Amino acid sequence: MYCVKCGVKLQDGVTECPLCGTPVIIPGEELKERHETYSERYPKENMQMKFGILGFITTVMTAASLTLFLLCMNLYGRVSWSGYAMLGMALVWIMGVLPLWFRRPKPVVFIPIDIAAICGYLLYICLYNGGGWFLSFAFPVTLISGAILIGAVALFIYVRRGRLYIIGGLFIVIGASCMLIELFQHITFATPMFQWSLYCVTVFSAVGLFLIIAAIIPPLRDYMQRKFFI
Amino acid sequence: MKKQWFRLDNAALIFPAIKRRGWNNVFRISATLRDDIDAGILNRALADIRPRFPTFFVRLRTGFFWYYLEEAATDVRAQKEYAYPLTHMSQSELKRCCIRVLYFENRIAVEFFHSVTDGTGGLVFLENLTARYIELRYGVVIPKEAPIADLGAEPRGSEICDSFPKHSGRFAMSRREATSYRLHGTREPDGFRHLITGMVPTEKLRGTAKSFGATVSAFLAAVMAESIKEIQERECPERKLKPVKITVPVNLRKLFGEETLRNFVLTLNVGFDPKHGDYSLREICDQMTFQIRSEAVPQKMAARIAANVGPQRMFLVRIMPLFVKTPVMRAIYAASGEKKGCINISNMGTITVPPEMEKYIERFEFIIGVQLSYPNNCSVVSYGGVTYINMIRSIKESELERLFFSKLVALGIPVEIESNGRAGK
Repeated sequence: MYCVKCGVKLQDGVTECPLCGTPVIIPGEELKERHETYSERYPKENMQMKFGILGFITTVMTAASLTLFLLCMNLYGRVSWSGYAMLGMALVWIMGVLPLWFRRPKPVVFIPIDIAAICGYLLYICLYNGGGWFLSFAFPVTLISGAILIGAVALFIYVRRGRLYIIGGLFIVIGASCMLIELFQHITFATPMFQWSLYCVTVFSAVGLFLIIAAIIPPLRDYMQRKFFI
Repeated sequence: MKKQWFRLDNAALIFPAIKRRGWNNVFRISATLRDDIDAGILNRALADIRPRFPTFFVRLRTGFFWYYLEEAATDVRAQKEYAYPLTHMSQSELKRCCIRVLYFENRIAVEFFHSVTDGTGGLVFLENLTARYIELRYGVVIPKEAPIADLGAEPRGSEICDSFPKHSGRFAMSRREATSYRLHGTREPDGFRHLITGMVPTEKLRGTAKSFGATVSAFLAAVMAESIKEIQERECPERKLKPVKITVPVNLRKLFGEETLRNFVLTLNVGFDPKHGDYSLREICDQMTFQIRSEAVPQKMAARIAANVGPQRMFLVRIMPLFVKTPVMRAIYAASGEKKGCINISNMGTITVPPEMEKYIERFEFIIGVQLSYPNNCSVVSYGGVTYINMIRSIKESELERLFFSKLVALGIPVEIESNGRAGK
């Protein structure tokens, strides 16, 4: 069996020439089994360097937190402002460093973890200040934003088509959630109902509706693409 | 018991200094037998030859002023080949042992860290290992004539010594040379090494080389240079063309009558400058032959050795701690080491084994790893009337291999191709 382009003799069973990539086609003949000359397994990716860097960042952050803690204990005999800094650092670590330890971090797993961490941080701030705004405001607002984010990411990853519909829908959902947020604001802080969120709803819904209409009418979509491509 | 240890020879000094987290200088020699390998017998053979070849069963250690080789603390055992050839030999592996003995179906392969030995030394080791294996497996007796060593004897001093200082000339030759063109391509992200083996009939190759008035080494270097020339012409405008140079290792044992099993090899960069005009293959062959002949003489080689040995002897360099020396060596290597040639072509020549071994051995192969900065390398060995040309690369594109082998085919040399995966599947 020879490569028609390079003229070299090939091993039995190869489907293309290793030199030029020309496919091997022999009409009316079955392809023979290829005998592998080397082991087919590949060694694991070298992760040493990555783990080294991550380990370094983790160590630095831990050391900084510890220093703050000791400083605070020395000055006030209790954890005061350093609590914000330490937990803030933990939050950054969970959001920025933790996913990198994994080979292929799945956003659908890590976004809920991040949301939980943010909730925890807000809860700490609320309890420390005795604010009482966590359950009625911060918690539901974080949950709503988180749910929208997860939904958006999941749709973008798992649905390959209809991006324009997805984006349009998202705009409308974001507009609607603004009203919900203002509702919680009203309940917690006794602000007047539905002021700023009305503007948001109008603008976001208009944009969202326009995108959906553009998705429905292909000529409009093409026109927009021609005018606004980057 | 006192642990045996060895200083690195002069050529070996550079390799521990320039190794990286994902790269170091490793090469491999393998023998393919007719039957499948028995791992138990191979391990016994390894244990049997260990006392005779102490410089191979070593691990890399760090001293305060120099790296050194210390006898490996544990038994060196054969492993089943688990991946593509010349997978990275990590720092922790070098700390255990600087060689790797592998078996796969009917093939025994040894991968050497270059500080331990060079191709010729490695071949002697593999031949002895294979000979001992055949003796144990088939119960034949193989005469103890070079290169097969008498395992009962002590290792000779001339085998384990560093031969460079002995043959250093009085005056050093300047290392100054023009920078050559550099091959490049898309790196494989996981460090995979593509290997393409071209098998050509030795007689036919030799005949064709002779018709061009060249040796096999010079001829192959010329064909390779012509391929690289074409790649460069496609990429660069004429005024930016750089010299095309092939790095050819020269075995100094023959020149100086030595028999050391450590490194004793120097490289020459031979080639031409395409700016001077268009060279035909015959003219490139003439250039290669002339340059190799004029450079590979004992006087000039001694002057080259002097340039390498000189700094190693300087008092100021010797008292420099290793952590200062290493970055300096790395900087020197980065500035000069790999900029003077486009690709290595390491030709081991024809391997002969005692007739008693011949009927058990099907083929030999010799593969060198890729360099740090240039992505292709080539090694050549002949056995049993077939010349095996191994081209290894760390990039996706196989353009150089395609040009090189199709040129051989166009010159009337039949080429058979084998490859190790990904492409061609």
